[in-house]
Amino acid sequence: MNENSGGLRVWHIVLLSVILGLLILFYKGLYGNPSFIPPVLVGTPAPRFEAPDLYKKERVTLDQFRGKVVVLNFWSSWCQECKLEHESLQSLNRQYGQNAQFVLLGVDYQDKEDLAKDYLQQYGNNFQHIIDTQGRISIDYGVYGVPETFVIDQSGIIRHKEIGPLVGETYIKFTREVIEPLLKEKS
Amino acid sequence: MIIEIGHLAVIAALVLAILGIIAPLVGIRKEKGVWIEIGRQAVTVNFVLLSIGMAAMIYSYITQDYSVKYVWATSNSKLPFFYKVAGLWGGHEGSLLLWSWILSFYCMAAVWIHWKTQPVVIPYLIAMESLILSGFLLLILFLSNPFERIFPAPSDGRDLNPLLQDPAMVGHPPMLYLGYVGLSIPFCFAMAALFSGRLGEEWIKVTQRWTLLAWMALTTGILMGGYWAYYELGWGGYWGWDPVENAAFMPWLIATAFLHSVMVQETRKMFKVWNLFLIILAFSLSLIGTFLVRSGVLSSVHSFAADPGRGVFILGFLSSMLLLSFGTLIFRSAKLKSLVLMDSMVSRESVFLFNNLFFLVAMITVFIGTLYPLLTEALKLKKVSVGPPYYNAVFMPVALGLIFLMGVGPYISWRKVTRDNLRSHFVIPLLIAGSGLVLSYIGGIHDLYALSGLTVVIFALTSILLDFSKVSRFWARQRKINPFQGFYAAFRQNPRRYAGILTHIGVLVMVVGIIFSTIYQTEKVVVLKPGESVTLNAFRIELIRLYEAVGPNWVAQEGAFNLYENNILISEMRPQKRIYTVTQTPTTETALHQIYMGHVFLTIPEVAPDGSWARVRALYNPLVLWVWYGGGIMVLGGLLNIFRPRRKEVYSFHSSSSPSAAEPISPLPQLSSKRVSPEP
Repeated sequence: MNENSGGLRVWHIVLLSVILGLLILFYKGLYGNPSFIPPVLVGTPAPRFEAPDLYKKERVTLDQFRGKVVVLNFWSSWCQECKLEHESLQSLNRQYGQNAQFVLLGVDYQDKEDLAKDYLQQYGNNFQHIIDTQGRISIDYGVYGVPETFVIDQSGIIRHKEIGPLVGETYIKFTREVIEPLLKEKS
Repeated sequence: MIIEIGHLAVIAALVLAILGIIAPLVGIRKEKGVWIEIGRQAVTVNFVLLSIGMAAMIYSYITQDYSVKYVWATSNSKLPFFYKVAGLWGGHEGSLLLWSWILSFYCMAAVWIHWKTQPVVIPYLIAMESLILSGFLLLILFLSNPFERIFPAPSDGRDLNPLLQDPAMVGHPPMLYLGYVGLSIPFCFAMAALFSGRLGEEWIKVTQRWTLLAWMALTTGILMGGYWAYYELGWGGYWGWDPVENAAFMPWLIATAFLHSVMVQETRKMFKVWNLFLIILAFSLSLIGTFLVRSGVLSSVHSFAADPGRGVFILGFLSSMLLLSFGTLIFRSAKLKSLVLMDSMVSRESVFLFNNLFFLVAMITVFIGTLYPLLTEALKLKKVSVGPPYYNAVFMPVALGLIFLMGVGPYISWRKVTRDNLRSHFVIPLLIAGSGLVLSYIGGIHDLYALSGLTVVIFALTSILLDFSKVSRFWARQRKINPFQGFYAAFRQNPRRYAGILTHIGVLVMVVGIIFSTIYQTEKVVVLKPGESVTLNAFRIELIRLYEAVGPNWVAQEGAFNLYENNILISEMRPQKRIYTVTQTPTTETALHQIYMGHVFLTIPEVAPDGSWARVRALYNPLVLWVWYGGGIMVLGGLLNIFRPRRKEVYSFHSSSSPSAAEPISPLPQLSSKRVSPEP
């Protein structure tokens, strides 16, 4: 649309740079692995965060759970698979919620507050949720898509990462091979 | 043996394709017709050769020749016959062969149709199409050869990916390719125009129907893909902003922009460089899409195995095409200053300008979203996915803007709008849209997107209907016929306009479907034991029993459900959780019940191994069928437009160059100028 002359040079350069930039990006992309998700943080200290609770006005920090096993579940109201695992999460909390050593914390990711509340209203809720408004927590944890679940041990080290919904076999394995051993570790 | 014949045919096709690049160029240089004639024959023979290649592949599928590696990889003796043929495009190698075959067909058709009327540009077209074809054939023969054998021959194949074992597999990929590849014809005409220096309106007129054809195929392909994803992937939506969906959507957006902006060049001789840019961009996006899908650069449900060697080749080819085409455009653009400037910011020209801007913004949005993971990886940022909220946030306003323009564009005058034009066309639609807004709100629609969406839809629709009634009455009076015949007369007078508006109506229907099926979708995910039920609006869904079911190449756990509406049994539904025996891949088979142009949608994503319970996902998607009905109307509009009767008058006023003569492109401005005078 730059037909009224004048700026011709500028759009030439912009167009060429966009094309070249893209080609370089594609070239680099060839040698990357799209499905490779950096083995973020398993075995390293969990990034600290402070975020508002979805319902109450208070701020929640990771530090306040020191000494507990923290299950951090990233979810969204627009995420289909989250709905599938939601029932499992609730039963996880029914099973371990009484244990003083266990905390299940939902992190609402790239979402709108009212949509998130509607979601919980609809599918039920028995655990605490925080909102990741700026996406900071998700970025710190390298969340690639939802649902993703992190397990942080009593001394604040990430011990496990689960990509995808916790349902069926995955859920059983998760409780048996991750949660149970961790809870036994220091008690 | 047969497969070797196919292989040889494709090798020969490569040789001829290279000849097809050189011969016409030599012919132009030396001004010898015989060289150009050689190019022309090469194009025809190439289609025959590639057809032999395709036939050889299909033959190997039907005869279950698993010594052919590609057949082994994408077929199985237990596979239904249907899918044995469709297996050809079930993987990387075969899809490329199909791509090339379609390309050679299009090229042949274009050469046959335009040989006599476009003698100057056809040689360039042949050279350009042959260049694209040789790129693909090189890729096929050296890096992804479907004719390769394996020894010793396996006794049975690895089976076609179960997600692809669906009737839609027969139509969806070929349709998309018809669209992608179809864009190569206008692209090559544009390139030919650039090379030959014949940069007038000719190439636009010649390629208008070709672009429509490609657009229509692309639309159909995308719609089929949406419906396929809807029932096969089992998540209840038809659009997921998956990189591969986006790869098809981006050329569609630009092709749509192009179809609109060419009208400005035809009537007002403006946007010349812009149109060249758009069509080059549209085809480039097809190629980029192919690159993204075929090289495994992005992860997606559609991706096939990644192979960097292949990727480097496609990228090399893509780079040369991009640099050649955009480079030529930049080089030639100095010639293309248009003499006509915009007269007013409120005119049909400016509506087209905004239309194009919106489409471009939409495409850039999708582009950035799609490539974002690649960008973060290249810049060593942490990986973050781009979810639907990103797309929706940008897309919604753009879509609303485009629908609004639909109600304005066709009814506003060229050059400069008059107060009368505005008053006679837009006061009533605005009033009706306003009352529609109030009524919808009272009627219980409180979502902001839904409200604004419905309001602009009502505005656009009223504009269209108002205009229909005006022209019908005008022609009825003119010819003393009834208004229905009057409408037909109006259509006959300008079929292109009314076919286009039919497409707009399709879009409006689709938008209503999208609004209701996404915003007013209700959903429940519950665990049910036989005898238990879940309620969803007025529906109650009861699980009767769970049992095993067996198919030709799969076993499944199936649930029998009763569907009640207000406690009256209306249907039985049987969703499945299926396991394909050869690959051991699980799939979710959806059960759908169609009601009030919407769907009750049922899946069982998880079933207890002992069959004692199932996790049930139930959805009610109101008006979801409008999405495809609307799509159907869009395609119908496209068809009517392509096969519209030729009108003699079109040519008479196109040849005239004075801007005022451009007015009668639609009878409407003429009509409205008559209507401005007080009615008798």
